Amino acid sequence: MEKDRVYEDLSLIQRRATVVAASIGIILLLIGLVCWKIQILDHGKYWALSEANRFRESVIAAPRGLIKDRNEVILADYTPSFRASIIRENCRDLDVSIENIARLLAIAPAELRLRIEKYASLPAFQPIVVKDNLDLREVSRIESRRLEFPELIVENDPRRFYPFGSLAAHVIGYLQEVNPEELKGGTFKGKMLGDLVGRTGVEREYETQLTGVNGRLTEIVDSQGRPRGQAARVEPAAGGDLGLTLDFDIQKKASELLEGREGAIIVMDPRNGDVLALASYPTYDPNKFITRFTPQEWMDLMSRPDHPLENRVIRGQYSPGSIFKLTMAAGGLKFGAIAESTTFYCPGFGQFYGRPFACWKAGGHGALNLTGAIQNSCNVYFYNVGRRLGVDRIAEAAESLGLGEEKTGIDLPGEKGGIIPSEAWSQSERKSPWYPGETISVAIGQGPVLVTPVQVAVHTAILANRGKRVVPRLLQAGGLREGPAGAAAGEDSRPGAIPAGIYETVVNGMWRCVNEGGTGKGADVDGFDVCGKTGSTQIIGRETAERLGRKIMPHSWFTGFAPRDNPRVVVTVLVEFGGMGGATAAPLAREIFALYKEKYD
Amino acid sequence: MIDRRLIQNVDWLLLVLLLLNSLVGVLVIYSASHYLPGNFYMRQLFFIGISLMALLVLLLVDYQVLVDYAYYIYGFVMVVLAGMVVFNHLMKKGSWIRLRYFQVQPSELAKVALVLAMARLFAEYKRSTLTRGAALAGAGLAAVPFFLVALQPDLGTAVSLLSILAGALILAGLERKTIIAVALLVIGVGVAGWHFYLKDYQKDRLATVVFPDKDPRGSGYQVLQSKIAMGSGGVLGKGFKKGSQSQLKFLPARHTDFVFSVIGEEFGFVGAAVILIIYYAFLLRLFKSAGKARDRTGVYIVFMVGLMMAFQLIVNVAMVIGIFPVVGIPLPLLSYGGSSLLANYLGVSLVLNVKMRRFVNI
Repeated sequence: MEKDRVYEDLSLIQRRATVVAASIGIILLLIGLVCWKIQILDHGKYWALSEANRFRESVIAAPRGLIKDRNEVILADYTPSFRASIIRENCRDLDVSIENIARLLAIAPAELRLRIEKYASLPAFQPIVVKDNLDLREVSRIESRRLEFPELIVENDPRRFYPFGSLAAHVIGYLQEVNPEELKGGTFKGKMLGDLVGRTGVEREYETQLTGVNGRLTEIVDSQGRPRGQAARVEPAAGGDLGLTLDFDIQKKASELLEGREGAIIVMDPRNGDVLALASYPTYDPNKFITRFTPQEWMDLMSRPDHPLENRVIRGQYSPGSIFKLTMAAGGLKFGAIAESTTFYCPGFGQFYGRPFACWKAGGHGALNLTGAIQNSCNVYFYNVGRRLGVDRIAEAAESLGLGEEKTGIDLPGEKGGIIPSEAWSQSERKSPWYPGETISVAIGQGPVLVTPVQVAVHTAILANRGKRVVPRLLQAGGLREGPAGAAAGEDSRPGAIPAGIYETVVNGMWRCVNEGGTGKGADVDGFDVCGKTGSTQIIGRETAERLGRKIMPHSWFTGFAPRDNPRVVVTVLVEFGGMGGATAAPLAREIFALYKEKYD
Repeated sequence: MIDRRLIQNVDWLLLVLLLLNSLVGVLVIYSASHYLPGNFYMRQLFFIGISLMALLVLLLVDYQVLVDYAYYIYGFVMVVLAGMVVFNHLMKKGSWIRLRYFQVQPSELAKVALVLAMARLFAEYKRSTLTRGAALAGAGLAAVPFFLVALQPDLGTAVSLLSILAGALILAGLERKTIIAVALLVIGVGVAGWHFYLKDYQKDRLATVVFPDKDPRGSGYQVLQSKIAMGSGGVLGKGFKKGSQSQLKFLPARHTDFVFSVIGEEFGFVGAAVILIIYYAFLLRLFKSAGKARDRTGVYIVFMVGLMMAFQLIVNVAMVIGIFPVVGIPLPLLSYGGSSLLANYLGVSLVLNVKMRRFVNI
């Protein structure tokens, strides 16, 4: 009924306006209540979120300690570098991220995916390194796309650098990324994903000492992630430096001498076990794989038949060959099987247990006494000594001279021991009795006798010291080392040790071997009184080699010390397939002795 | 030319509240952009000066005269908008017309034109309830600029235009059942729009009003950062130029759409509440003017301008505190932007015009 009535006055529409104005007031009041909730009731939560927005925590990586030689020459250094990591919890879509990051950093997407999957089991907030050793262009490319790539971060990453490449690579070792199993198992304390750890060498042995303590940086950042200031900074503490016993010049010489061969050289101070040089060939350049990835170079090295990664000095097990005659001589004297003056006649072969055993010299040496037998490395003489001693007494002598199962205790990981057979050994390892005929082979260091070059060096040091045993060491005295079980140099106090007089006889033979036209004459250095012994070990029998129609060269040994009185240096050289010890190994040792004399006398 | 009585009847309080809001805006714009090149606060001051002059100039003309020419003004603005749609289609440009020194958003001016046209349409409508014919006529009048602006595309401004239509219809006596019907229609259009019109980013925005934390790096980012800014402000705020959310640029569109968030962060709940109170005082004063209008046209003008500004205020603040989707609607008077400021000043000018001429006989 009101519908058709027309009001001239405006009160109706004015009232409507008032109602609407009041409703707006109510709505604004509700809005005010929401503000109350957000700003007062939930203040704590949002305050924390705004603080979290402002600050970015990052790690300042501590540089690894330096590794130096005895004269402070830096063998392992570090250079600044950068790495890029992905934080999966910041990814919107991991697959898309992988595609985009692969394109940004020029990585193959499949490789990147594989890498991320490898660490899939770790919490999503932990960064996974996707590329290291970034160049500056790559760094700026990432930094300029913070918004596009919230999941990608760039971190400072002081990078290990070996200024001399492959020099002493087997001593120093190399680094590789810590793997997820090791992280979970707690193998390395305080390590994080993407950290590099020493895998071999002193890098592994002294991992804890070399590792520093990472610093932390808390930055105020804007929404683009650009730093606007520092809130807190905890400086990293660099890892401890290692002073090695190595002598750069001698190490360099040893490496050069082995160039192009397969073999090992160890140079040691017999007085305290300081290792002046330790070289194994073929070698590798550890710089090539200081990366978190498995580069082709490494795969190639792994699969090469000549095993460049293997440290032959501590892990190569070889027949000692004629070097073992020193043990025979000392053992023979100790057990009274022979005297210094005992003479045997060498016609070029000997008949033992119904079988002929040849001497290396076809015509024979004629009549020889002990020092003459050492000088000329006569097989027949020592066949006789071996027959008189028997295998168990040979083993006892060998073990008191540093050979056998027992490791030398050098401060490198992965050292192997050797094998010195005995009747008990034969029963337990071969499940068969020892045949006396085998003793004749053992007498000249053939048969199931195995030694490592470092054992031979220690063996030589015991002879040089006239009985005092040393533990070879790479870390200088007064360095970081706490000391492993056997610790530093000390007298061998085991029962049955060889009387000092016996050593003089053996040493006399070694002196004649080098200085009186013996097999070791190639190692002679004027005025340095080098004493030594050569060895040549047949890998396969002469008959087999002839049947194959191939010239198979024996492994070539030389071990010795100088000078004769108050010896200061032991040199042990092994060249695989090098030929006769006197021809190949001895001249190499000579070079080392000569350099040592020149440098230290 | 202008009667002394007219000057005496200018609502000075309304004008002061208008300028107070605008100057608070300048302060906040300064805080939110002083580290950016472009001197936004200076430019905003300049816009305020220009807009104030336009406001005063417009007062010289009796609003009845303006309403007489309403359809011409409306027609002119529609032609400009249509021209822009075509031009944009060809040139792929945004919703701005670039003049020699400043950019002008014609869609903002469409609001003023629509207010005048709507007032003209309903001036002679004297029934107590709304007829279908009148409603359709009003809807038609609003539909043209709505679609032209929506096509630019500027959904926020287009929706603001609808608030003017709503104002006119409510005043004309929209029945309750019609309001319900319209609500249903809006929902229907909303559903259809969701499927056919809205872009993905707009859908995301709607979705994230409900779950802003779901996707902190995506479209929920703006809302979340805005809530963090508000919430971290607490009771008294972090202080002028000390809000980390805005100073470190976590807050999006700090000096434009999210300016309220800066207030909440730097001046706290007290600051936000004071702004809402000042604003409501301004709106209340504005709506009260409707009671002083000498004719129906005047009431319509006052009411539509008031509702338009209230609508933008409510939508903007609701969006900033995360209870409404992020649409591009600035906070009138406080957000940086010349065109929006000018449109609102012209609107207020019309209100003052109505009020000061209440005793003038025709």
